[in-house]
Amino acid sequence: MKRKGTYDYTLFFTILSLLGIGLVMVYSSSSVMALKRFDDSYLFIKKQALFSLIGIAFMVIYSLTPYQYLRKLSLPVLILGLMSLLMVWMPSIGTEIRGSSRWIKIFNLSFQPSEFAKLALILFLAHSLAKNHQNIKTFTMGFFPHFIITLFFILLILKEPDLGTSLNILVISLTMMFVAGVRVRYLLGVFSLAIPLTVFLIMGEQYRIRRILTFLNPWEDPLGRGFHIIHSFLAMGSGGWCGVGLGDGRQKLFYLPEPHTDFILSVIGEEFGLVGVIIIISLFLILIVKGIGIALRAPDLFGSYLALGITLLIGLQAFIHAGVVMGLMPTKGLTLPFISYGGSSLISGLVSMGILLNISYQRRT
Amino acid sequence: MNTNAKKWIRFRIYMVLICFLLFFTALAVRAFQLQVLKGEYLRTLAEKEYTGIIRLAQDRGVIYDRHKEILAISSYAYSIFADPTQITDPYSVACKLSAILKLNNRKLLNNLKKKRSFVWVKRQVTDGEAEEVRRLRIKGIHFLRENRRYYPDVYLACHLLGFAGVDAQGLEGLELSYDKYLKTKTGYSTAMRDALGRRIYSKIDFGGSRQGYDLILTIDKRIQHITEMGLKKVSQNTQAKGAMAIVMNPKTGEILAMANYPPFNPNTFLRYPPSVRRNRIITDTFEPGSTFKVFLIAGALEEGTVKPNHMFFCENGNYRIKGTSAIIKDVHQHGWLSASDIIKFSSNIGAVKIGQTLNSSCLFRYIKAFGFGEKTGIDLPGEVRGFINPPIKWSKVDKHYIAFGYGIATTAIQLLSAFSAIANDGVLMRPFVVKEIINKDGKTIKRFAPHVVRRVVSSKTAREVTSILEKVVEKDGTGRMAFLEGYRVAGKTGTARKAKSGGKGYSKDKYVASFMGFAPVEDPQIAVLVVVDEPKGVEYGGVVAAPVFKEITQKTMVCLNIPPQRVLMAQGKPGVLRQWISIIDGNGNKDDS
Repeated sequence: MKRKGTYDYTLFFTILSLLGIGLVMVYSSSSVMALKRFDDSYLFIKKQALFSLIGIAFMVIYSLTPYQYLRKLSLPVLILGLMSLLMVWMPSIGTEIRGSSRWIKIFNLSFQPSEFAKLALILFLAHSLAKNHQNIKTFTMGFFPHFIITLFFILLILKEPDLGTSLNILVISLTMMFVAGVRVRYLLGVFSLAIPLTVFLIMGEQYRIRRILTFLNPWEDPLGRGFHIIHSFLAMGSGGWCGVGLGDGRQKLFYLPEPHTDFILSVIGEEFGLVGVIIIISLFLILIVKGIGIALRAPDLFGSYLALGITLLIGLQAFIHAGVVMGLMPTKGLTLPFISYGGSSLISGLVSMGILLNISYQRRT
Repeated sequence: MNTNAKKWIRFRIYMVLICFLLFFTALAVRAFQLQVLKGEYLRTLAEKEYTGIIRLAQDRGVIYDRHKEILAISSYAYSIFADPTQITDPYSVACKLSAILKLNNRKLLNNLKKKRSFVWVKRQVTDGEAEEVRRLRIKGIHFLRENRRYYPDVYLACHLLGFAGVDAQGLEGLELSYDKYLKTKTGYSTAMRDALGRRIYSKIDFGGSRQGYDLILTIDKRIQHITEMGLKKVSQNTQAKGAMAIVMNPKTGEILAMANYPPFNPNTFLRYPPSVRRNRIITDTFEPGSTFKVFLIAGALEEGTVKPNHMFFCENGNYRIKGTSAIIKDVHQHGWLSASDIIKFSSNIGAVKIGQTLNSSCLFRYIKAFGFGEKTGIDLPGEVRGFINPPIKWSKVDKHYIAFGYGIATTAIQLLSAFSAIANDGVLMRPFVVKEIINKDGKTIKRFAPHVVRRVVSSKTAREVTSILEKVVEKDGTGRMAFLEGYRVAGKTGTARKAKSGGKGYSKDKYVASFMGFAPVEDPQIAVLVVVDEPKGVEYGGVVAAPVFKEITQKTMVCLNIPPQRVLMAQGKPGVLRQWISIIDGNGNKDDS
């Protein structure tokens, strides 16, 4: 029944295209800022290029490693992921940047454990959901353990605080459970609990309320809270059909916050216009359709769930990033996978693509 | 059961895919809405933000005359604004400020109580006022340096300089034609300012940003002043509609002075109608009349169809052109005249006879060679070509009229450029106004060298024409009032009836009186054209324009340090030399020897 497929070049080159566009856009959007803050306009592009090379190496290694091996490691990896989230709070290695403890620093290398934790959780859920396939409809075997593990992760990431990633993980986890066949009423139960909890969390933090209010009407305070999203709009609008040209965008010059990470799609929108935005959206859509196809044709349930989880991870994040810069969702810092600057998310993203490529390689026909 | 469960799993995976497709379609629709449907609106908003910043950032280069005397400069004026959110006691602030700045107290108070972070208090205040307010050190009161273009000599060279608008953009004259050099290019650095125009970051320079360059003109401020005074005097004395004059170095094409009357004040240019602000020397054409005979005789001499001493019968002042009803008249009746005397006495009939020695296409070739019907290429905006029909379109009489300067429209700059070719040994030069462009450190960015357009006539012909023109200013010539003691002057008068507006025929009482000449003949340093539009009373160029030429030339000779030759040679008369020196010194004391 199993047969070795061919290497999925469409997927491979889609990823490379996104990486290439990412390198160019990181330079275009960060050079001015990098020169100002660090006196080196190449700072971010140099690091990003290095991360890309490391990431590609990881991707190739993982694509050649049968994913079934990972299954054996899923539990240790899960524990490692939880530990890394805890390490954020260790004074010697945890670093606080702008009020958030999202980074840890070992040997002068800082990375964001939540990026790896997400992957660890997906790996474990895929393993556990496949293992409990026969009892999936039960509360104790099908729903409860998966939900508790997810909750652990969410609570730890909430503590950082990073509400966005927490919600992202919740959606991925619930969707995986839904696909695996966990009773919908349990999942709806989680939702009915999560919604008031989210509202409570938002109300508890001034900045979150402001974000929501700003989202609802950014023009109310264009020079204050609405400044960022309005300048994202101005960037998109200035781009028009074909954009103002690479490097000629002006909103990235201190109008947009974090143009090389959280608002990189605005810069693309300004410099390459609607055409550029549609190309990016299309590339992600290819990736998603490919990922779903791989989930459908995976040789076993574990592979199927794993492929689905990875697709959700990348697809949702891309959707949220685009939604935020275009004002469809409240402002929150999420990067655009493969394109935004950031070593941790780039490497974990490419590792997950390596796994996806391997599942594809072993697909059924 | 197993396969059934797997079917459901597949089904649910498809549901996830469908969700994704819907999400991403929504993204594409939103992108289309933002970038295309609302794109124009958002773009305007963004532009507004940038231009607001750029306006505050502008600074223009200085315009100097040839001796680095300032003609136009950018200065600053401070504007005062308030941030009401920072003001704790608007009442006392309003009281203090309204007293110093002479503002309405209540109005100011209302402004200061507004819930905004930016209100103007007063724009472009004097330095004294700014200093006084600054000394109060009120929290929430800020200053903004705004650019202002300033022409210190007010009317001087106004038409030439033109003017720059409130946003420091060149609108007319040199300010317009050299705008790209004068204006400060802000490039990327403009965007590196925040919403109040404060520099957030100034270190980056992508090469697009630079200070405005300075211009050094060929203009001599003193000669410009002399020229303008001459025009003012003649215009007021003759109640003329207007007047214009150009002083040019015939050897290089450098313009030393260029003036129109009436002038305007470029500091307040908005108060003047465009017709007054126009540099008519290059934008308006007129029929030159007799001055054009210079080019006719030059062509005829060059072709060899005429010699200066050839005799022509001037029909006693009344000549009907064969086969037509056109009658040509002279002011004074002449019988037989030499070609040289035809120019000296400016006989129209004589000119027609000289013209008859040349065929139409040959005459036309010379007219074109002197540069008529083409732009001179002077570095000022708005130059027109003038007008001359090709010979094919000439009627039977046209050629004869052209011979004495009718049926052709020229600009003043064309006329003087062409005339300068005679002074310059037969070589036509391109006139120019800007000598050099320098940056703020005084380094040359661009230098403009004299540009030879073409040789029009041989140097022998040029010399022959010159000696004919020298006779024009002799005691019995039409240009005798241009005679200047101590200098050899060559020139030609012109008195042209103005064409009736809208219809055929010529006006009976509206004239253009002109005189053009150069000096000193042995080594021409300046060529001068004076044109007086619609003088009242006397209309003759020799009476109206020639004295202005004389005055401009005499004073310019002093400026250029060219002593009167004949005086120097006449060793026995040191008194005249001393008189000349006294002109230089600026006191008109008679010598006592």
